[in-house]
Amino acid sequence: MKHVLWMAVFATLTAVVFGVVAKGTNRHRLIYGLKVFAEFMLIAFVLGWVLYFLPFR
Amino acid sequence: MVAKQIQPTTNTETPPFAWLIGVAAWAVPGLGHLVQRRWIRAVLLGGAVWAMFLTGLWLGGHLFVVTGKEQGISALIQLLPMSANVGAGLLYIFCWVTNTGFTEHAQLLTYEYGNTFLLVAGLLNYLAMLDAFDIASRRKE
Repeated sequence: MKHVLWMAVFATLTAVVFGVVAKGTNRHRLIYGLKVFAEFMLIAFVLGWVLYFLPFR
Repeated sequence: MVAKQIQPTTNTETPPFAWLIGVAAWAVPGLGHLVQRRWIRAVLLGGAVWAMFLTGLWLGGHLFVVTGKEQGISALIQLLPMSANVGAGLLYIFCWVTNTGFTEHAQLLTYEYGNTFLLVAGLLNYLAMLDAFDIASRRKE
């Protein structure tokens, strides 16, 4: 659970910076920041499940 | 085929103080926007970089440094992450002077998270620095 928490913290802080430095209106930047956050989380979950089924051990 | 003609629409000359703003933004995360009275940007950008750097240290991450003892490719391997860490500005220099965060804590579960937080804090500060520079040179609102 802690890993998910730190991943969410990382995604949040990165999304804040990406959203703030983006161009456009405040609304566009807010949506962009939320999109970045969602993409980080989604890709991490997808990769996590893909790696779970790969026999690395 | 119609050739596109690029017309200069804005003055591209960079005012000298924009470079100073850039240096200030690199040195102290958030300061570049603060001196330009961009309060919300300063708090958000500076806060995010500071939080990420301090969280990285708290999680047991370690900072990279080129000591000069490395040989061949191993110096390059250290140089790339070090250049990311250096992006945190005086935070990195303070840690270097006080020898904080340069010890590896690989036994910690959050060690890799810490490393990533520290690396990305520096890289995000480079982005914030460019943003402050662009605002100072009137390339961005």
